[in-house]
Amino acid sequence: MVAIWRRMSGVALGLLIVDLAGALLLTVVTPSFTSTYNLFITGRDFSILLLVALAQMIVLAVGQMNLSIGAIGGLVAIVESGLMVSYDTPVVIAIACGLVLGAACGAVNGLLIHWTKVNSFILTLGTSYVFAGVNLGITHATPFYHIPGAVASFGQARIGAFPEIAIVTIVLAVALAVFLRQTVLGRQLLAVGGNPVAAALSGLPVRRVIVTAHGISGFFGAVAGTLLMAQLGEGQPTIGVTWILPSFAGPIIGGAVLAGGSAPLLGTVFAMVLVSLISDGLILVNANPYWVQFFVGALILGGVLLGRVRAVGLRDVFRLKSTAPPVTDRPAEEPVPRRPAEQK
Amino acid sequence: MSATRTVAVRTRLTELRGTGLLRTLGLLALLIITAGFWIFFSAFATGFTSDFNLFFLLRSAAIAVTIGFAQMVVLSIGDMNLSVGAIGGATGMFAGWLMQVLGVPPALAVLLALALGTSLGFGNAALVVWTHLNSFIVTLATASLITGGMLILTRARPFSNLPDSFLGIAQIELGGVPVAPLVLIMLGVALVLGLVYRSTSLGREMLAIGANRQAARMSGLAVGRIVLVAHGLSGLLAALAGAMSVAANNTASPGIGSDWVLASFVAPAIGGTLLSGGLVSVSGTVLGGLLVATISSGLLLMNVSNFWLSVFLGAVLLLAVGLDRITRTVGGAAS
Amino acid sequence: MSTIAPARVVLEAAGIRKQFPGVVALDDVSLRLRSGEIQALVGENGAGKSTLIKILTGVYQPDAGSVTIDGAPVRFGSARDALKAGISVVHQEHNLIPQFTVAENILLERIPTRLPQLVDYAAIYREARPWMKTVGLDMPATRSVSALSAAQMQLVEIAKALSLQARILLLDEPTAAITPHETGYLFRVLRELRAQGVAVVFVSHKLEEVFELADRVTVLRDGRNTALDHEIKGLTQDQMVTYMIGRSDVLAQLPARPARGEPVLEVRDLATEAGARGITFSLHRGEILGLYGLVGAGRTELAKAIIGELKVTGGDVLVRGRSARIRDLRDALARHRIGYVSENRKEEGLILLHSVLTNMSITIWRRLRLFGQWIRRSSETAAVMPLVKQLDVRAHSLAQQVGTLSGGNQQKVSLGKWLAADVEILIIDEPTIGIDIKTKNALHELIWNLAANGKAIMVISSDMPEIVRLADRILIMRNHRLVGDISNSHDYEEVSAAIMSRLS
Repeated sequence: MVAIWRRMSGVALGLLIVDLAGALLLTVVTPSFTSTYNLFITGRDFSILLLVALAQMIVLAVGQMNLSIGAIGGLVAIVESGLMVSYDTPVVIAIACGLVLGAACGAVNGLLIHWTKVNSFILTLGTSYVFAGVNLGITHATPFYHIPGAVASFGQARIGAFPEIAIVTIVLAVALAVFLRQTVLGRQLLAVGGNPVAAALSGLPVRRVIVTAHGISGFFGAVAGTLLMAQLGEGQPTIGVTWILPSFAGPIIGGAVLAGGSAPLLGTVFAMVLVSLISDGLILVNANPYWVQFFVGALILGGVLLGRVRAVGLRDVFRLKSTAPPVTDRPAEEPVPRRPAEQK
Repeated sequence: MSATRTVAVRTRLTELRGTGLLRTLGLLALLIITAGFWIFFSAFATGFTSDFNLFFLLRSAAIAVTIGFAQMVVLSIGDMNLSVGAIGGATGMFAGWLMQVLGVPPALAVLLALALGTSLGFGNAALVVWTHLNSFIVTLATASLITGGMLILTRARPFSNLPDSFLGIAQIELGGVPVAPLVLIMLGVALVLGLVYRSTSLGREMLAIGANRQAARMSGLAVGRIVLVAHGLSGLLAALAGAMSVAANNTASPGIGSDWVLASFVAPAIGGTLLSGGLVSVSGTVLGGLLVATISSGLLLMNVSNFWLSVFLGAVLLLAVGLDRITRTVGGAAS
Repeated sequence: MSTIAPARVVLEAAGIRKQFPGVVALDDVSLRLRSGEIQALVGENGAGKSTLIKILTGVYQPDAGSVTIDGAPVRFGSARDALKAGISVVHQEHNLIPQFTVAENILLERIPTRLPQLVDYAAIYREARPWMKTVGLDMPATRSVSALSAAQMQLVEIAKALSLQARILLLDEPTAAITPHETGYLFRVLRELRAQGVAVVFVSHKLEEVFELADRVTVLRDGRNTALDHEIKGLTQDQMVTYMIGRSDVLAQLPARPARGEPVLEVRDLATEAGARGITFSLHRGEILGLYGLVGAGRTELAKAIIGELKVTGGDVLVRGRSARIRDLRDALARHRIGYVSENRKEEGLILLHSVLTNMSITIWRRLRLFGQWIRRSSETAAVMPLVKQLDVRAHSLAQQVGTLSGGNQQKVSLGKWLAADVEILIIDEPTIGIDIKTKNALHELIWNLAANGKAIMVISSDMPEIVRLADRILIMRNHRLVGDISNSHDYEEVSAAIMSRLS
């Protein structure tokens, strides 16, 4: 615990304080906030959206992005429920197939980006339509109802206010933290994000790293899709269509930079807590549900603006001229007593 | 030595690219592909060449191209605008509200909607310029702000009781030919944009800062002002596309714009606009939008599931950027 | 390290050719490297040294020629292949991961693990420390690299290359950014490695270092060998310079010019955010003012502060006698008619993707436009064409992409855009960096003629012969201060000695 506390970034700490204040406020203002059922619902939504945010965080860490997380989640949920409903595949096998498919979709993103050198934004935008299209092509937009009871009841299961699907999220988040901090591949991943040229010149396996990051992203998206399917109790083709915004909200508010090299896991967690608190609060006060979208947008802007203030100081944030990186004289020769030949 | 020869060929290709010949060839290829699809669908998709179908095809192409233009102008300065759809949807709803609830005459309503779109674009630009935030993040956030705001204000209720004089611009045919006035509007916009990029100081400046912002600034260009204009123009074009969609759908519905993100990138990308900035092709974007509309219409008539269209569009986008990448690699662009 | 008999050739490159769009970087270049030997690789800027290093380490692939290790031909597809073959390198560019600690950066290629795949941080810090000590880096191994100075980063890179304990070690300008004290450390280590049988390639501009450290030398000039595997013993500094510069470098004395006119740019007691203090000088019409200084002396920063790119914190800049607060280059160009030719053509000077025409007319679009916005292609061409002729820009057409031109022609375009705008004051930062000798001479004559025609020109250069040849007066800069202002007699011996005395 102490180690975590000491390593916590300023952003994460700030978010934690805001989270606690927000929770306190909600407790005081709306008594139903602390009801077991409300906490369960909120925790369950949070568990799924956090996975989505982590799926984005891991690709942001290598300086890329993944717009197809939602499409992968949707496709995986459909394939799993389709296997279970239409082909009576055992639950474990169906889900295993789905998760492998998700990771594979992600890996394909990574491979295509590495091979074609096409910007990850445009590439994953393209593949997201491919994945979503396959999903709709399979389902014709009709859900697979009646998934096995075991799966559906897992989605509803709780211990007190604690949703059981949160176990999956916690295990994966911890595993991701260990991966990034403690494994060679994890370190290489952050190295590639931090300085891709240096990483390549140092002989790091850049392709493997990129594919791994995208593979993990696809896998997390697939798990999120699976959990949402379990929670809904059916394979909805629309699973994942609204994930783009929360996927960026978490890491960006949490302190990630688009240029890569950082993976603020705690910041992402606390940012998603904040997003969940806001959504829940708005529901509890019976506000128009569209406010959620509005607030998340505002939060992202606020988050990046704050990051900018921290980086350059309040005075310079609105300075028109680019705060160009410090210019240095290029490495040049010392005053070699070199003589033009005619002087000889 | 074969290695030397390869280098020579590569150098030659680079020079060709430098003089724009490769780009012309690319456009020609796009034209041939589009023509090929027209021939194919005329032969195999019953009803493809009917007046009715051509009317709808060209009308949807006009809208797709306008959406593509809205993205193209920000791509030209090396930015992107994820709020194209949000602006189109919000301004479309605004125009619908003006006409249906306030009884504002259509021409004025559309003008006000365009003004709103332009100011929303200025808002994006202000955030991008003054805070140096990445345009991706800024427009992702403003897209959700704009759409959220629109839904809150309208409670997601459509305006479907619009004046006929407004709907006419999308529904009537021009002098018996199956062409909607929307197509003329789009062609007019294309003409203006073509002139802007070819022969005006503004167009040149946009391309210059798109290709190398630092060098452009250090050549004395007013980068901030140009970014402002480009995003404003993007907002204006998005609003125009929104108004066109409202007219085409007979109704201002809150769903307009929700599926524009891909479409906005596809048309310019196919047409040869460089996604990293500094190079645009107006005629390419027109052809790109036309190709997408052609394929959609043809597949629909051939009873191919509409859902597969999404796969197809995604694949076309990937192919287009992939091909662009390959020609550039072969051309050996200074890497 | 095994005790291999010295004089065994471990790495040999023969007939290497490498072409980039518009320029042949290496043409039939060879290099022979023996174990237990330090081979210096010297040459002027743009001679092809870094390109050769990049080919030997798999970053670039040669267009022709062969590389052999222990007599067996090798073909490196990537930096990883070269590493596996036992080649370790310090590149000229910084290649560290800023977010990581010093220790992690040093051991980046082979992070120690416990259990399969789990990082052993204790081992990282333990193993990195000796290497830090070797290069004289005295700080906690857990320090983040982003917090280090340029010199410290350079030392981390050297420590990283040494820690690989490769049998071939390539160092591209390792001493460019470090102090003499740290250089001493490095040399001691390199000599130890030599004794252990490691083959070392040492790239440097500093001839005294080469004579002090190297056993043999290979010299490149304009992408060709002028000396191959030559013994240092018996070689004089003069001979070395001849190899580097060659007979073709005989640059004629430039003709006499009319006397300078009134001052047009006066800088009084200028202080900048970049750290300059008390900068005072004036630049006159028809004058070429040289600004000489070493790495990090702050010459480029000073120029950028004058044109408003960096913040001025004190003092005054006067243009044509009136106090000027220049906000940015737009302001400098439009109100004060000042132009700045950047040393960094790729990032600040040119739009490589665009045509020669666009790059040269970019400064005059505002002047050319009709009805508010319209630019007629014919008037644009008419404005640019005479300059293309005057500068002798070699391009197929005005529509050719600037990125496909050679360095010299790119520099001419970069200069041309300011001539198109008809500026009166021109600051040229490193006018001939990476440019072949013939074009260099042409550019010198051009700058000379511009001054003769009444332009006020400031030339920033770290190329002493260039400064001595071109400038009327030479300002000497050291650590963000002006430490000398000498009148140039164009006598190389005398002037270079005068400059050196002010720098030490």
